[in-house]
Amino acid sequence: MKITYNWLKEFIENLESISPAEIAEKLTMSGTEVKKVNYLGENFKNLVVGRILSFEKHPDADKLSLCNVDTGRNLLNIVCGAKNFKADDIVVVALEGARIQDFVIKKSKIRGIFSEGMMCSEKELGISDESGGIMILDDSFTVGKDFAGQAGLDDWVFELEITPNRPDCLCVLGIAREISALTGLKFKEFGYNSEYYANKDKKFVIDIRDYESCPRYSAKIFKKIDNYPKTPLWMKNRLMQCDIRSVSLLVDLTNYVMLECGQPLHAFDLNKLSSKKIIIRKAEKEEKLLLIDGSEKSLDENDIVIADEKGPVALAGIMGGKGTEISDETEDMLLESANFNGVSIMRTSKKMGFRSEASNRFEKKLDPENTVNAIGRFEEMLYRISNVKSDNTFYDNYADLKRSRRIDLRLSRLNDFLGTDIKTEKVSEILDLLGFKNKTDGEIIKVDIPTFRYEDIEREVDLIEEVARIYGFDNIPVRKPRTASKQGKYTDEQKFLRAIRNTLSEMGLNEVINYSFIGRKDLLMFYLEKEKDYKDYVKIINPLNEDFEILRTSLIQSLVRNAKDNIFKKINDIAIFEISKIFKSAESDGQRKSTEKNTLGILLSGRACLKNWDIQERYYDYFDIKGIVESLAEIFFDKNDLSVNECEYGFFHPVLGGDIILKNKKIGVIGKLHPKIINNLDIRQDIYIAEIDLDTFIENISREKKFRQISSFPPVNIDLAFIVDEEIKYHDIEKEIIASAGRDLQNIRLFDLYRGKQLEDNKKSLAFALELNAIDKTLNEKDIESLIKKISEQLSKKFQARLRDQ
Amino acid sequence: MEENINALKSVLDKEYEDFESAVEKVQTLSELENIENRFIGKKSLVSEYLKNMGTLSGEFRPVAGKTINETRKKISERIFLIREEISLIEFDKKLRNEKSDLTLPGRKIKKGSKNIISQIIEEIEMFFIGLGYEIAEGPEIETDYYNFEALNHPPDHPARSLHDTFFIDENILLRTHTSPVQIRYMEKHKPPVYVIAPGKTYRKDYDVTHTPMFTQIEGLAVDKDINFGNFKWTLETFVHAIFGKDRKIRFRPHYFPFTEPSAEVDVSCNMCKGSGCRICSYSGWLEILGAGMVDPNLYKFVGYDAEEVNGFAFGVGIERIAMLKYGINDLRMFFDNDLRFLNQF
Repeated sequence: MKITYNWLKEFIENLESISPAEIAEKLTMSGTEVKKVNYLGENFKNLVVGRILSFEKHPDADKLSLCNVDTGRNLLNIVCGAKNFKADDIVVVALEGARIQDFVIKKSKIRGIFSEGMMCSEKELGISDESGGIMILDDSFTVGKDFAGQAGLDDWVFELEITPNRPDCLCVLGIAREISALTGLKFKEFGYNSEYYANKDKKFVIDIRDYESCPRYSAKIFKKIDNYPKTPLWMKNRLMQCDIRSVSLLVDLTNYVMLECGQPLHAFDLNKLSSKKIIIRKAEKEEKLLLIDGSEKSLDENDIVIADEKGPVALAGIMGGKGTEISDETEDMLLESANFNGVSIMRTSKKMGFRSEASNRFEKKLDPENTVNAIGRFEEMLYRISNVKSDNTFYDNYADLKRSRRIDLRLSRLNDFLGTDIKTEKVSEILDLLGFKNKTDGEIIKVDIPTFRYEDIEREVDLIEEVARIYGFDNIPVRKPRTASKQGKYTDEQKFLRAIRNTLSEMGLNEVINYSFIGRKDLLMFYLEKEKDYKDYVKIINPLNEDFEILRTSLIQSLVRNAKDNIFKKINDIAIFEISKIFKSAESDGQRKSTEKNTLGILLSGRACLKNWDIQERYYDYFDIKGIVESLAEIFFDKNDLSVNECEYGFFHPVLGGDIILKNKKIGVIGKLHPKIINNLDIRQDIYIAEIDLDTFIENISREKKFRQISSFPPVNIDLAFIVDEEIKYHDIEKEIIASAGRDLQNIRLFDLYRGKQLEDNKKSLAFALELNAIDKTLNEKDIESLIKKISEQLSKKFQARLRDQ
Repeated sequence: MEENINALKSVLDKEYEDFESAVEKVQTLSELENIENRFIGKKSLVSEYLKNMGTLSGEFRPVAGKTINETRKKISERIFLIREEISLIEFDKKLRNEKSDLTLPGRKIKKGSKNIISQIIEEIEMFFIGLGYEIAEGPEIETDYYNFEALNHPPDHPARSLHDTFFIDENILLRTHTSPVQIRYMEKHKPPVYVIAPGKTYRKDYDVTHTPMFTQIEGLAVDKDINFGNFKWTLETFVHAIFGKDRKIRFRPHYFPFTEPSAEVDVSCNMCKGSGCRICSYSGWLEILGAGMVDPNLYKFVGYDAEEVNGFAFGVGIERIAMLKYGINDLRMFFDNDLRFLNQF
């Protein structure tokens, strides 16, 4: 919201004693944030009021005139293209150095003749859209004097952010009241109420069908309005500074009064109403209304309308109807100043996708006591401008809401809550300045809540806030809390999750974070429509767009997208991981329930090792990603708790993909991304992926770690190689060796895998390095031999494995 | 006999002299070995003499033996010393041959990185753990009740329009802030409550300053005797810990439905040191968090007695902190996951 300094001056005595910058600071530090303070004069420098003394046709251009203009100090020759002036007209002259629509005026030749300035149109000055000719000023302007000062442009504009709890601050008066409370300067209030109640009239009927929709409807009739003058320039300017375009005097006045006292007004063409009666009611289903902006709206029973006996004439609080709009031909006008139900207005405006200055105010719940002030102010301003007195009848229908409230404020509670030692007198003074009448009774201050704050001050704590913000948050002393009554810590689960993140980043991977959304496109790209596990996704009903439609059921798609994005930027060597939630939807007891799970995704692509002066280049492959998963698992689990089972997935290479198994339970998948997906993505390098259900992983981590005795006897290292059929899995052999070697086996490492000439077809040789050590003795040759025998026999029995001669 | 002895001595002296002059120029261990062979080896004069001892007369033999052995010992000791000396030189020479260009690049361990968002979360967590806080968590898919209603946003509350919410269905949504964790935590725990809750939050907005997903940390302290001064101390200390002691802080009254009084906390702009620049929109201040005293209405939802306890709560935007701390100018960078970005942290 924007308001100006000069406008505020009208309602605060002696405001000029405080600079606009100081006011901005005080408002900001009391909860009305001032985004900007802008000095208008800056844009209207070097503009002077002049009088056209004479003019003649430009000798070389039919459409241009050569004018002799008196600017007080000088007579200037000005070449002008407009036609709407005559001798003696008072005009705005832009002198050398003035800035008009982003270009700077200088003396220049136009068709061979020097022009020493420029006469401006309203549009060129940014005052209105009027560009039909130069602006002709009235006699009230003094020739030779600065234009800005005379046109009310020697002013400052405050751009304010009003929080939704303060509808009373959506106007000049509300802000003036705040400034008064902050500075102690006297606030000049309106007092139109009594004068109007005396002149209530019943000849025109206001029929409110539903007081919940409309607690109050006040109105006044203005006759013969076609005789009124145009909007004065100062008012046009003020509206323009507040981002409202000038239309006509009466429309401008409704806006002016709304900005000034916060009450939206609407003007009907009285003679276009079908009856001497206005009805405020809920719309009927599918009732139609053509609005001022030309759009036809289909209404329903949640919308409030103003109607005459034929049908709706306005959408309450939002926009008037085309049929009763005032125009140049309007003779008599009905001015509406009403109070509508904020929630209804919000719903309707949301539904219509349309917000106006009026609806924005109504939504926040306005004070019904204010309708009369607005009418009074409108009438007063109209009289000031036109000097025409309107008749003094006034129509009002008010479901008196008895908006009075008294709250007890305990001084001790206030000081305990704030950690302050504010005295009763100070509290009382602050409340007075804010317009809260109050009486002190011992340590209790009895506070009457004014009707304009009725909606947001309901409790003692609301009053404490009022006192605190005017007292100044800065003035409340900083106090160290007494020592915490709790021990700060992470839970085990939180510790493990952070340890996993640390480990992976220390392994050389970069942690990425992706949006939780993906599109259906991504699922298709990964051939996941068919995957049973990925079918039950959580969908957003109002997504940003179709790429953000579904909550991720896997991190894989996002990681692949990260790889692709980087590869497209020629960053080809990628080792990334993400720890985020994935979401699934499942039916249980006939209800859809969403679940979310912490998940770890890892992706490798490109080179594991760059060629260095003494290192060979190497590309990532499946065993790199498996190594990462294994290393991670070994930090938290026994070496043998984790394994991989081959399994086919649509998005993995047909034979290079599988499940990650932890303690006999599937906790994830691992493999090489299917080359057809790589092709579809238009990239040319392999991608390896692992994904792990982190919640289950962490759940299985043992909370207690036990020390294992270290042998004090020397270990024995032996190498054993076995020849087996190609189909036999390494993992099974390893498991068997571990089982048959028993507890003396400390370490097992596959150091060679051989297929080739020295072996029959379809055979492979696996060479193991075993580290043996007993806890209670040195293993002798006999022990070792019997152990080798045991292992060989077992492997031979299980896999027809043959011990290879060393 | 005397004569014989003297003759022997002079022969041996001559032999030793020869040895000394031979050994003088010796450079390598193999040269030394040759000399050793020549003077005390099997075929050396000394060895020959010793071999022939048996032929000498009984009276002469011990004296001659002693004399020969003395010479032999003298030579052998001398060789031992020279050998030590040459060994050291040769060892040194061998080592010197291992010379390399020490300015050649080393074999580095590949460096990974924790995401900057994770790093800042952990930094904040550590700060608050130090003050006795625990870490609370809550779901990202929330109900209307926890996201709005129990936080004092009844249906049709105007403040709801400040949250552009993603809906799963009429009552289920993606949380628009981490504040629902406050309610969930208080429902399950009696005061004193000291928790922070980091996590992802969602709003339907996408431009240079908004992403549809962003990260917040929620903080909540509810205890006996907590007051606004404690709230100020906690946040001031926090901001100083994150941004440095030299930064100024101000508490600007604001409005949030679930705190009363509410404040936005600003930190002085580091670019212009408070004098006003483009970064701080010429205000000299940067807004970093929203906070306030817990609105007593919330206690009704969780069964606390508002006369017994007070509390304060705050919400911090993690990306905002990172942007200000590191001068990152486009919020979307956090989710582009460009490795050139990730590797900087």
